[in-house]
Amino acid sequence: MVQCFVAECEHSYSKSQCSFFRLPSDRKTRRTWEKLSGRPPDSSNENSRICSCHFMGGVKSAGPSLFSWDRERVSYLQASDNGVKEEPEEKDIVRPQGGPGRPTNNLSLLIATLDTPEGDEAVEETTVHFKKEEMESADCLIAKMVHTENNSLIFRLRGVLEFSCQLDSSNETQGQSAISKSFQTLRTRVSSESLVFSVCSSPVLLWPNKSFHSTVENLTEGAPYRDIQQYIEVEDGGSKKSSKKKDKKDTGPSVVNLKLLLEVTESGDSASLSLCTVTKPQHSLKMPVCVDCVFSASGQDTLGSVCSGLVGSLCNQLSDMEEVVLKYRKSTSLLVPQPFHFQLPESAGLVTVIYPAGVPDSQLLAVREELHEKYGLPSDRPCFRRANAFHFPDEAYKDGYLRNPHTHLNTPNVEDAKLYVVKGVYSYHHYMQDRVDDNGWGCAYRSLQTICSWFQQQGYTDRAVPTHTEIQQALVDVGDKEPPFVGSRQWIGSIEVQAVLNQLLGVTSKILFVSRGSELASKGRELANHFDTMGTPIMIGGGVLAHTILGVAWSEISGQIRFLILDPHYTGGEDLQTITEKGWCGWKGPEFWDQNAYYNLCLPQIPKTI
Amino acid sequence: MGRGYTAEECVEKYLTSLSAAAGSCVTGLLIGQSSAQKDFVVLAVKTPHRESEGSPGGRRVSSPLDDIDEEWVAEHARQVSRMLPGGVSVLGLFLITPPDLSKEAQNTLKKLIFAVDKYICKSRLWDLSEDDVTDRVTLHICSKTRKAVCKTFDVKDPKCSAKPADWRYQSGISFSWPVLNCSVRVDLQIPVTDSSSEKCIKDGLRRWAKQIEAGLCLINGRQTSDDSELLSGSRKNVKTSQQLTFRAQILVSEEDPGAGQRCSAVVQACSRSVSVRGTVHCRAYIHSNKPRTRHAAQAIKRDVVDTVSNRVEMLLEDLLLNEGGNDSEQQDLPRRVFAPLSGSGLTVCDYMFPDETPADVAERFKELLDWDSAEGDIDTSMEAPACRSAPVLEAEDRCGDEASQPVPPVSPTEPVKKQNSTQYYAGMLSSNVNKAAE
Repeated sequence: MVQCFVAECEHSYSKSQCSFFRLPSDRKTRRTWEKLSGRPPDSSNENSRICSCHFMGGVKSAGPSLFSWDRERVSYLQASDNGVKEEPEEKDIVRPQGGPGRPTNNLSLLIATLDTPEGDEAVEETTVHFKKEEMESADCLIAKMVHTENNSLIFRLRGVLEFSCQLDSSNETQGQSAISKSFQTLRTRVSSESLVFSVCSSPVLLWPNKSFHSTVENLTEGAPYRDIQQYIEVEDGGSKKSSKKKDKKDTGPSVVNLKLLLEVTESGDSASLSLCTVTKPQHSLKMPVCVDCVFSASGQDTLGSVCSGLVGSLCNQLSDMEEVVLKYRKSTSLLVPQPFHFQLPESAGLVTVIYPAGVPDSQLLAVREELHEKYGLPSDRPCFRRANAFHFPDEAYKDGYLRNPHTHLNTPNVEDAKLYVVKGVYSYHHYMQDRVDDNGWGCAYRSLQTICSWFQQQGYTDRAVPTHTEIQQALVDVGDKEPPFVGSRQWIGSIEVQAVLNQLLGVTSKILFVSRGSELASKGRELANHFDTMGTPIMIGGGVLAHTILGVAWSEISGQIRFLILDPHYTGGEDLQTITEKGWCGWKGPEFWDQNAYYNLCLPQIPKTI
Repeated sequence: MGRGYTAEECVEKYLTSLSAAAGSCVTGLLIGQSSAQKDFVVLAVKTPHRESEGSPGGRRVSSPLDDIDEEWVAEHARQVSRMLPGGVSVLGLFLITPPDLSKEAQNTLKKLIFAVDKYICKSRLWDLSEDDVTDRVTLHICSKTRKAVCKTFDVKDPKCSAKPADWRYQSGISFSWPVLNCSVRVDLQIPVTDSSSEKCIKDGLRRWAKQIEAGLCLINGRQTSDDSELLSGSRKNVKTSQQLTFRAQILVSEEDPGAGQRCSAVVQACSRSVSVRGTVHCRAYIHSNKPRTRHAAQAIKRDVVDTVSNRVEMLLEDLLLNEGGNDSEQQDLPRRVFAPLSGSGLTVCDYMFPDETPADVAERFKELLDWDSAEGDIDTSMEAPACRSAPVLEAEDRCGDEASQPVPPVSPTEPVKKQNSTQYYAGMLSSNVNKAAE
């Protein structure tokens, strides 16, 4: 089997998509290449090959220059395509152009060229030009994908109101009406002229209840809701850019954030101040009430209708909060009401639900049952757990892991094929994350972490994604491994993944076995069915490296299949562009699998619960 | 080079007019506005004569400097501070001594400066920002030669030594100072425990003050960005010494950054609750030497905080001392009245209790500011005389639980109130000094 000569490179002819180049016959040059490859002098022989990923632009004449230890520049180019390349030398192993499953990818090639300071200047100039155009069209594609999902603009209003209430210590029964009165006070406050919406990252202030007063003349009550976007400054890598410029590429932010403010000044001149003392034993209750309202504007909506819609949902939200506070009240103990937004399957709008803080999901089953019934949702999967809450596109995930990188890929072009992909949200776990150097042994652990992240983010479990050590401990706990296994650098496989999922999450898994990788091409129906019914990521391992399968594009008619692969062997940073362009997350053909090695697939099954 | 002080010409006239009796000293306050570049002094006021505790000559003292009553000077500074609109404050002190005491005078001034600063800071609800100047000015004047020496002390540094400063006079410096106005609605509910009612009220006010301080300020409807100039585009008007009036608006968020992520409401058992409700008129002046909007915003916000806390403090000093058995009691806080200060473009203010008349206010101006104001100059129109019915109604609507019991109407002529109000005036200086001396 041909494997890349470069130290730490795991690419081999059977598994990788790149081409393989012979080392030069001239001894001096060969020694240079050996040194560059991190190998001792004269360690190569006539069978040694270096894969094209180490060559700028995949061109052999440039000499190997891209190495993983040289992180600034590394770009494991998996493409080795089209006319840029010189004619292959005899005995170099070069794949046919545009080989199966490898859509030609000019972009990655050109970027790699750019990233290197050396090189022909004239060539570089043209590639710069090329790159910009390419990039823009790529951006457009991504933007379109996002916007076709939801063509409306979400207005999101957030703010804090202070709830304050005096409960008579001697008269318990009055408590309820006192709390209701305090909520009524809040509703009065947000219905008054003093309510102000501050549009974030813009100088715009709106007084929705003061005959729609605005600090910007053009933003009148009847103005189309999209007009507001031109006043919003978009943060762009530290430098501020007006959204006007961006408009050409993108339609701007799809979320307009508003902050609730209250004006304390009055226009009236007459003033007086008094102090009122109520002397009797009482309990003073205070809590911050965080309101969070959304309004999806579309079509003919005007700023006026958006604002009155928000004021309306603000009042409704306060009423819902009042209900929740009263329901969970124990004497003078009030739980803080917290709003959550949920996007229901097959619905564009958001549903807002108030949950009492500190009450775990497990104790709110009855509430969820009611909600499932109200919205006609199946009762086999969670929709209203806190973890299911809608993630606003403009909010970064704080843990730093990438979410669903596959959504940024173009779909493969396979005739009559239907897409069957993972449902919901997972995070991408791979080598070298969490300050754990698991390069070379942790791929199955990472694949398992991706699966666990799916179960966590779909609300099935509160358990955080397990660490390598926790995974090893779980295997010792179930008796699968001896205690010294904890802390070791030993591989695990699909069977272990199955055991850990069962042990830590109570999730059962089916195991699908193929004795040869070539058989995977015929497993389309099983895999399609899995993604259709379960929708969980699949871990695949066995004789060779472990990967995560996120979906298949499968044609029932022709049997043609492409696999959506998430590769845990990636060692770089969380850079979506690198990951999608260099194939760390990408569509692969059946030849991706080692045709002769055996594979075990672990297909996690979702528990029926809400 | 030290700080530069530009004083209004009327300050010079006033200082010249003061003559110390042989062998004694005169102390007083220097009032005006600080800016990053220089300070403006618009008013000088001598410390009123203290009548109590026997005649000054009764005790034999080694030096007239020892005769200066530090607490008395500090209390005067605090009372005068209440009369100043936003943006105007006590900048320092002057001291007139016989020639032989010139050397010791610096030490006395330093001591007084720190005492005054400490006293004023104590009742203040806002914190100094980085922009704030902490240099305080002292002016020592020789009673014989009329020679004036100007020095500054940094009140941030107790070990500081006097730094020389530049003092000069100019006429009409404050005539064109822009004025900012606004009316602010206050609605505070403060739970009070028996043991520490004063602290509870102060804490409640402090939380509110933080909200105001963090609030967004609009000037003439425009947002104040960090370094924009208040007078941009209208500087020509300023040159013609026309006073510009700006309308300020304050928008707050009720966020409490200290609250964190709580799961349940904070419960506090208390014996009483105090609510402060109503609307106050606020005013601030800002110098016309390229003022920044952010400084204007800060000045008006501080006036909002001060005018409410001053009034509550005045009430606490007197009225809350008699904690009655009444279930519910409403007390009117004094209304703010204004008067144009002669020789400057500014107005000063005072707080007038319902049973007082402008004549009482004029008398206080005379005592504390050494200024003869005409009764007709006192503008009582900015705040209405406390209207009884409206706040009571409001209390019923909004007080929550306690509103279910009718609030007994309190008549403005209630004996308790009247007694307290008069006490406020007559005993104002002495009662506080006594408290401070304890």
